[in-house]
Amino acid sequence: MFLTKMPLNPRRRGARVLLSSPQALHAAVLAGFADARSTAEGRILWRLDTYDRHRTVLYTASPEKPDFTHLVEQAGWPTTEAWQTRDYDGLLDSLRPGQRWQFRLTANPVRSGRRESWNTTKPLGHVTVKQQEQWLLDRAPRLGFQLVSGRAGAEGAAEPDLAIVDRNTRRFQRQGNPVTISTATFEGHLEITDAAALRQSLSFGIGRAKAYGCGLLTVAPPPRSDPA
Amino acid sequence: MTVVALRLAGPLQSWGSRSRFVRRETETAPTKSGVLGLVAAARGMRRSDPLEGLLGLRFGVRLDQPGQLVRDFQTAQRPKREKDGTTSWSSLPLSHRYYVSDAVYLAVLEGDRELAEGIDEAVRSPEFPLYLGRRSCPPAGPVAVGVSENDLEGALASLPWMAGTRQQRRHRARTVRLATVCDADSEEPGGELVRDVPVSFDPNRRQHAWRSITRGTVEVDNPHGVADADTGDEHDPMAILGG
Repeated sequence: MFLTKMPLNPRRRGARVLLSSPQALHAAVLAGFADARSTAEGRILWRLDTYDRHRTVLYTASPEKPDFTHLVEQAGWPTTEAWQTRDYDGLLDSLRPGQRWQFRLTANPVRSGRRESWNTTKPLGHVTVKQQEQWLLDRAPRLGFQLVSGRAGAEGAAEPDLAIVDRNTRRFQRQGNPVTISTATFEGHLEITDAAALRQSLSFGIGRAKAYGCGLLTVAPPPRSDPA
Repeated sequence: MTVVALRLAGPLQSWGSRSRFVRRETETAPTKSGVLGLVAAARGMRRSDPLEGLLGLRFGVRLDQPGQLVRDFQTAQRPKREKDGTTSWSSLPLSHRYYVSDAVYLAVLEGDRELAEGIDEAVRSPEFPLYLGRRSCPPAGPVAVGVSENDLEGALASLPWMAGTRQQRRHRARTVRLATVCDADSEEPGGELVRDVPVSFDPNRRQHAWRSITRGTVEVDNPHGVADADTGDEHDPMAILGG
């Protein structure tokens, strides 16, 4: 597996097109691969991190190395920063239970629901921060990690170190049909409980809408000031 | 040298340096003429009294809370009594008045010890009411901060951040970078000129001379800060992959 980081220039016209529609960015990311099919190792996952108006970074995890020349030309920084691709297997192989990492994840938290007039169930987006946090907490054991307890909350009980830093409802067209996905960006600290399951989550993604920038979990070393 | 510091805060302030006719502008920082006028009022000086005693002071200001620009479109009418006893109203020129709302500034004057202490005392019990640039803008809270043995730049860099608690909480970093505007040395090149030295406040013969200023920044502590300023909050998964 490979992890790729590519800063985009949100003020370019090409970037506006890509940033406004996950469908368009999905197509642009896949165009960077000769064979975009998933393998036994993993699949193509991507995520768009927006830190402020001028700082937007595209992360991609993929079984093969990408060639994002077309993205740089349309929406990147051609002469200063293209993209960096790093081998991901070293990290994936070094995962051990008990390790602590800082993480970031953009996901599409949904539940299955059925309204009166429907005869089948459909995925419905979770709406509130509480629901979205609970969605990840419920899934964490299956995904191979648990959330580290942060500092004691207001009531004195230790709360999991988890924050939703961004929430969005993306509406766009897919072959003329409207698509709506609600996304939540999680940040926090995790502790590995099952290395194989976490490897699976890192390379195959978490939750739904993986083609549309959801499901890519990335980990980084915890900050030095962190007591853990 | 001794400095005397003043905290200029209020719902509205207006510090004009180039207002003419119906457009009454404000600078984004207090002017020397405005602050010397406030000091003169505190000391009980009349408008026609000579200002020589105050003009030797060096002046600097720090923008602790920048506030927002407010425009007031003002209409006024003048009553006129007609011969038959009725009153008719004639319109005065429409004017635009600019204010800075919800701002906090730290103004510092550097001079002799005696003069600085006199100013501090006068501001604590002023002879005439104090106002922030315009008569309709009273200060919120005490103006006097105190006297200290320091120079102008040192005082601006060392006095605590005067912004409201709410502002300080909202700014999460442990330090904050604040803009300053100071008197420049007259020989120093690159100074900016503003017509802002009061020669006379006499309403019949008001006069201002030119003053050169330099703009800078200082860094002060934020007592309510919780976050480290230098560690960016950007998540970087490449860091462990040799990136």
